[in-house]
Amino acid sequence: MAGLPRYPRSSDDAGTETGRGSTTGAPRWVKVLGIIALVLVLLVVVLLIGGNHGPGRHMS
Amino acid sequence: MTTSPPRLRKALLTAHVTASVGWLGAVAGFLALSVAGLTGQDPQTVRATYLAMEATGWFVLVPFSLASLLTGVVQSLDTKWGLFRHYWVLVKLLINVVATIILLLYMQTLSSLAGVAAESTLDLSGLGDPSPVLHAGAALLLLLVATTLAVYKPRGMTRYGQRKQHEERMTAQP
Repeated sequence: MAGLPRYPRSSDDAGTETGRGSTTGAPRWVKVLGIIALVLVLLVVVLLIGGNHGPGRHMS
Repeated sequence: MTTSPPRLRKALLTAHVTASVGWLGAVAGFLALSVAGLTGQDPQTVRATYLAMEATGWFVLVPFSLASLLTGVVQSLDTKWGLFRHYWVLVKLLINVVATIILLLYMQTLSSLAGVAAESTLDLSGLGDPSPVLHAGAALLLLLVATTLAVYKPRGMTRYGQRKQHEERMTAQP
């Protein structure tokens, strides 16, 4: 369709098409994924600080 | 940007998919071993699972993770998708790097657990550890997200990608 921005198809694994779809700012899925990642990282940090977790804890 | 011939590009894609899906499958197998090691009652079986986990880690997980990272970077730079142009590629790269670093760090702990298991004593007090299950479960989740992103390729260009696209349009115009 003329006028609509073109974007590489998801089936285009080899990325042979030129990406011409322009967006402003990060899309919603990136923001959602970012928030989930942040929560998980905080959870891991709390576990690391609170417990005896981490690499090498069985070395002694 | 110059891209390789279609045959080479297909070979690179095949290598990346093989390494990435192989990594995912190996993590699933590792998760099964870790659950067996955590819940097992027979000392010999429990010890065997930890020894198998260490071997799987060093000889399957680590090579597949590094191969996935390397082939992924090459694949992205060789195509129009780029490494930093699209969010889905960038997120996959982050997942791959983080998962590989955590795996390499965790191999120390796993080697220690395998060392305990290799000792001749039948005392299993040092092996009732949920960490292999937790790490394998988290890795499986991350790799499933990465696989989903690779298949669906959700829309979204980074600022860098938009800038490069603009530059390419400007140079393409007569």
